Amino acid sequence: MGSVKIFTKAKCQRCPAAKEIEKRLRKEGVPVFQYDLDTTDGLAEASFYSILSTPSLVIEDEEEREVISWRGIVPTLEEVRQYLSVSLS
Amino acid sequence: MSNVIEMRRDRQEFGQESETTDMALFVRTSDESMNDWNRQRIVDALVRETDIDLDTAREIAREVEDLITTSKIRMITAPLIRELVDAKLIERGLEQARKMHTRLGMPLYDVDQLILHPNKENANVPHGPEATNLTLAERIKKEYALLSVFSQEVADAHMRGDIHLHDLGFIDRPYCSGQSLEYIKRFGLSLPNSIAMAKPAKHPEVLLAHMVKFAAALQSHFAGAIGWDAVNLFFAPYLTGMSDRDLEQLAQMMIFEFSQQAVARGGQAIFTDLNLYWEIPKHFEDVPTIGPGGEPTGKTYSDYLHEAQRFVWALFKVYQEGDGSGRPFFFPKPLVHITEKFFRTPGHLDFLHHICDVASEKGNTYFVFDRGETAKISECCRLSFKLDQTDLEDAKHPWKMRYCALQNVTLNLPRIAYLSRGNETGLFTRITEFIQRAVQAHLEKKRFIEKLLALGEKGPLSLLAMNRDGSPYLRMHRASFLIGMVGLNELVQIHTGQEMHQSKHAFKFGLRVIAHMKLLVDRFSERHGMRFVLEQTPAESTAYRFAKLDLKYHSPESGRIVKGDISRGEVYYTNSTYLNNTAVLNPIERVRQEGLFHPLIEAGALTHIWLGEARPSQSSLANFVVKVFQQTQNDQIAFSPEFTTCNLCHRTCRGLRPSCPYCGSEDVDGIARITGYFTKVSSWNKGKIGELRNRYRNQAFFEGREEGISQATSSTEITNDTPTLTLLP
Repeated sequence: MGSVKIFTKAKCQRCPAAKEIEKRLRKEGVPVFQYDLDTTDGLAEASFYSILSTPSLVIEDEEEREVISWRGIVPTLEEVRQYLSVSLS
Repeated sequence: MSNVIEMRRDRQEFGQESETTDMALFVRTSDESMNDWNRQRIVDALVRETDIDLDTAREIAREVEDLITTSKIRMITAPLIRELVDAKLIERGLEQARKMHTRLGMPLYDVDQLILHPNKENANVPHGPEATNLTLAERIKKEYALLSVFSQEVADAHMRGDIHLHDLGFIDRPYCSGQSLEYIKRFGLSLPNSIAMAKPAKHPEVLLAHMVKFAAALQSHFAGAIGWDAVNLFFAPYLTGMSDRDLEQLAQMMIFEFSQQAVARGGQAIFTDLNLYWEIPKHFEDVPTIGPGGEPTGKTYSDYLHEAQRFVWALFKVYQEGDGSGRPFFFPKPLVHITEKFFRTPGHLDFLHHICDVASEKGNTYFVFDRGETAKISECCRLSFKLDQTDLEDAKHPWKMRYCALQNVTLNLPRIAYLSRGNETGLFTRITEFIQRAVQAHLEKKRFIEKLLALGEKGPLSLLAMNRDGSPYLRMHRASFLIGMVGLNELVQIHTGQEMHQSKHAFKFGLRVIAHMKLLVDRFSERHGMRFVLEQTPAESTAYRFAKLDLKYHSPESGRIVKGDISRGEVYYTNSTYLNNTAVLNPIERVRQEGLFHPLIEAGALTHIWLGEARPSQSSLANFVVKVFQQTQNDQIAFSPEFTTCNLCHRTCRGLRPSCPYCGSEDVDGIARITGYFTKVSSWNKGKIGELRNRYRNQAFFEGREEGISQATSSTEITNDTPTLTLLP
């Protein structure tokens, strides 16, 4: 099963919206990992995915290959669900 | 010969003297005058140079005099007297006073060796009397720096090889700088110590002469590279109506002038970088132009696109031809900025092919990628100054765009891993401690430079203190303080058991280390109100020095880790955040993977693509460059061919060969890129020779697949998914 990775920072105006998506997805049982770019692990993971702006969201398949990403923008929950239905099935 | 004391016995036996004033001991001091022996001189020196009390000074002077008197020494040097005094200070436990009283200098044997043999610390310094002078001066200033400028903790960390303080021999100068031609276009050549003041140039040849002279003056005030921003653009207002022939002549003059500056300080060519643009950079579009005589032309730089493009094209024609023997020019280095606007500017494809042709033929071209809104001035081997909002405001008055890095301190990353013994918390704690030490070194150097600058235009850094536009030439508030790294690959290898190209886990651990360093330097920047930034240190000799020191202090483990050939002494650590040089990786994959580190390394990063004997087509390289810009985060790339030049028939061929394929002579020189510049292989230190032997040359990719390379590169899907971290057979 694939996963969703969400990248945020403390001083980031649109990040609360991304965190809200994270909460909703968790409730739905989707494997979600959140990374804070103000921390070593978060910044390293963001660098691995070439994430240069927050918030960003990456959906991966089982092989950890990127299915789709939103960089510096927050997708709607519907958009995320649409891709999840394909990649996490 | 100086520093010699001769004991004269022409009147009385020395040992029978009771009063020093009568002693027939003549001292030839370092100022080459013969001085009568006078014990009071010891007392004066001790009181002047140290903080000991007068009684102790007198007591020591008396004891030293007794020692000399009873020793029956016939020949004695002034340094020996000082050492005898120092021994007395040590006997009394006055360690600080001894340090303050230290004499700096070199043993006779070392000077002899230095004069006879080349210094390989910097391959850009040829061997000759000027170079010897430079090295001698550097040795003393190094000692001075370690004893007097830096604290004991910092000096010891350098001596141990935990960190490396770069250019200690140039302690009284900043490290390197980025310049604007607009300064000399507007103010002429008016230097504080110059005997003649030149008004702003009216002709392009004169502007070039001013540029070269100013570069030489700057070289005397900076330890390293001098980068020039948007050179073709700022020359453009002088080039209106110039014929192609005259323009090409000017381009040729510029490149030869800078490449033949080996007559300058220390016989060292000025490490010059020309930042070049095909388009008008966005931040200069509406800037009023300074033209001949320093007068405004009434136009903006957007109006000079045609002249700027003609000039940059002509410069690359000269690079394409090479020097009189067909060799690549070592300096000045051309750095072409590839931006979003580059691809929107008419003619960009032809120009890209032109510079790719030069890259393939001679290797000169550096491709600097400024993605999105990024703008920067690049120089040195890979250093760059990213322009922030304040700088973009300054761009309206481009002569204000003067930048410098005050110092570079590099961390020995493998050392941290040896010391941590697999303990991850310990490893990250040590990284923090090493960075704290580097920050301390920067604060100490800054304090020292500020002291020199405070002496103003009468002081030793008069050029940097000169004020022509309302602020000193050196704008300290825009200075960067570099923190570099060597051997990330080996740190990861020691800690995880795998090198970075061998597994995703190892690669990600490397990213964690650099991310930790990035967050730390940001925190220190905020705390001290200074710009601490990470840089990929070129580490021409540091990668060798660290490896040697770790073989000494961390054997046997280090013997399994250092790269190169221990039996030949050709050892090194992998530079900065690079993947192992021997790893067989598709070059575009190497560029992508190494580029993942680059956004964390604000002050500059570069990936080398070693070509060996391969000579890819211009369209193949152009495709490669476009892919790198569009689909990676890599900051800068350079393609590096290798050459052999014959000292007998003066012809140059491709590849590194033991003899000339044209005339058979074995009197040949290899030419290859050592770090961020080309030079003769014979001048390389052992560590770099070891690396050269190990470099994986991408010949299979560029030659074997040349026919299909355009398709291959254009169809290579570079995604943000998991890198293919495989070591091919």
